[in-house]
Amino acid sequence: MFLAIKEIKHEKLRYGLIIGMIVLISYLIFILTSLALGLANSNTAAIKTWQAESIVLNKDANISLGQSLITKQQAKNIDLTKDQAYVGQSSVVAKSKGQDQISATYLGIDKNQYLYQDLKLTSGHKPTKSHQVVADEKFQQSGYKLGDQVSLNSISKKYTIVGFTKNAKLNVAPILYGRIIDWQAIKGMGPNLVASAVVSKTESTKISDANLKNYPIQSFIDKLPGYSAQNSTFTFMIAFLMIISLIVIAIFLYILTIQKIPNYAVLRAQGVPAKTLINTTISQSVILVLSGLIIGTLLTFLTAIVIPTSVPMSFNIPLLSLVAVGLLITSVLGALVPIKTILNVDPVDVIGG
Amino acid sequence: MPTIKLSNINKTFGHDLSKVHVLHDINFQANKGELILVLGPSGSGKSTFLTITGGLQTPSSGTVFLNDEPLNQLNKKALEQLRLNNIGFVLQSYNLLPYLTVKEQFELADRVKKTGNLTDGRFDDLINVLGIDDLMNKYPAELSGGQNQRVAIARALYTDPEIILADEPTAALDTARVDEVGQMLKSLAKDRNKAIVVVTHDLRLKNYADRIYNIIDGKMTQDTSNMH
Repeated sequence: MFLAIKEIKHEKLRYGLIIGMIVLISYLIFILTSLALGLANSNTAAIKTWQAESIVLNKDANISLGQSLITKQQAKNIDLTKDQAYVGQSSVVAKSKGQDQISATYLGIDKNQYLYQDLKLTSGHKPTKSHQVVADEKFQQSGYKLGDQVSLNSISKKYTIVGFTKNAKLNVAPILYGRIIDWQAIKGMGPNLVASAVVSKTESTKISDANLKNYPIQSFIDKLPGYSAQNSTFTFMIAFLMIISLIVIAIFLYILTIQKIPNYAVLRAQGVPAKTLINTTISQSVILVLSGLIIGTLLTFLTAIVIPTSVPMSFNIPLLSLVAVGLLITSVLGALVPIKTILNVDPVDVIGG
Repeated sequence: MPTIKLSNINKTFGHDLSKVHVLHDINFQANKGELILVLGPSGSGKSTFLTITGGLQTPSSGTVFLNDEPLNQLNKKALEQLRLNNIGFVLQSYNLLPYLTVKEQFELADRVKKTGNLTDGRFDDLINVLGIDDLMNKYPAELSGGQNQRVAIARALYTDPEIILADEPTAALDTARVDEVGQMLKSLAKDRNKAIVVVTHDLRLKNYADRIYNIIDGKMTQDTSNMH
């Protein structure tokens, strides 16, 4: 450690550049991880707030809420308890005078069921009558206010925003929660339809209709349009970045070690054990990577403060800590690469002629 | 009993047609209190001689004795310990770590060899004698060639070894500095009772040596013309 610290303090520019490189790598990984998580959350935020374990959909809907419909006849074959709730989904374009139009998801819920009862608001109140909606905070951030009259698609009757809630996003689109009876009108499919699906806090719902099927909520999430593809893309990007980081850090440490071979040869001639030199190399890489990670973390936190709310980023400290530990481990692995070179340092090389 | 003794040392490199015989039947010994010069041109085998004497290389045949103990029975780790405790090296270049101050060069020695180094009083005495007491907070790059060499000598002596092996210690020095280093090595051998072996092609050091050996084409002969 003594040699490692002394060398870093003396060669400030050289090691500063290496720390800078690690800062950039860690910052990039942290930001990518946060973006990936943010995007994943934008897809599933609402589902998380429902605390659902399973969902009942029409078996021909390809596990898609948008394609699923439950008729009155089918609904009779569903055994609803306090842990189940109807949800009626429809894609809408919301617009209000003087505001930008927003592509959203209308979710009709029943005021006697848990989705309505558990709905948490940041302001306003829950829909108490027809043509009232609670909107995701995205509407608020876009300038919509309580009491605003909103038209949905081409329906002439306007809806009033009576409350705002957060984390109400499904497949990145902000949600408008309203009465399920209004959903039937928005969907334009008449009174024979009860809902799009039944969400359940339990692992399954008792159903006795061959056209309906229980799905675990994770299967439903995985089938959200683009969700799995996005996650795989980000996972591969981060994994490749980690591997490339390992290689880059290993190359830098190797070059650094090669430059120090004459010094190490002198130390070996003087009887300094190879173990001391290996410890120096490893502790030096730990110091460099830790410094880089600390600065990278600070930069990430600064970014979290200044990043616009429209960018879907989510900073999950346990996950980022895991990524940081991963980087630290990869760098120690990188530092192990030149060990063979250190072990093979021949003191005879520095005694010339 | 000689401090270091080389008996019938041969060293060859390569095999068959590419075989090179670098050292031929070398017999040599050094005693405490002596400054011994091994003179030879480049490629004469003097560096190989030095590395074998210092336990950095093993001879192809023959034996090196340290205080009558044969080194060829020691493993790599034991040789490492031997170099740490009994032998000090003064090399012509890369002798000091560029990122440590003079003071820290000694601190490093303390960290590696925990006991048996010079005590504060003897260390102060050494740096005063070598005239480096006011250089303790400087880095090697801030020192002149002569100052660097004096620090390197102090560093070699700091672990209080019985033997100092010096490789071209005056290579980069002007005549005045050569005289200074020659005088210093001679007095260190006498006053501190060290066996100091210097391999060099610098004839200017001849006046300070107690004994001189010539090495040409791997064959060593004692030069008796300089005997005091």
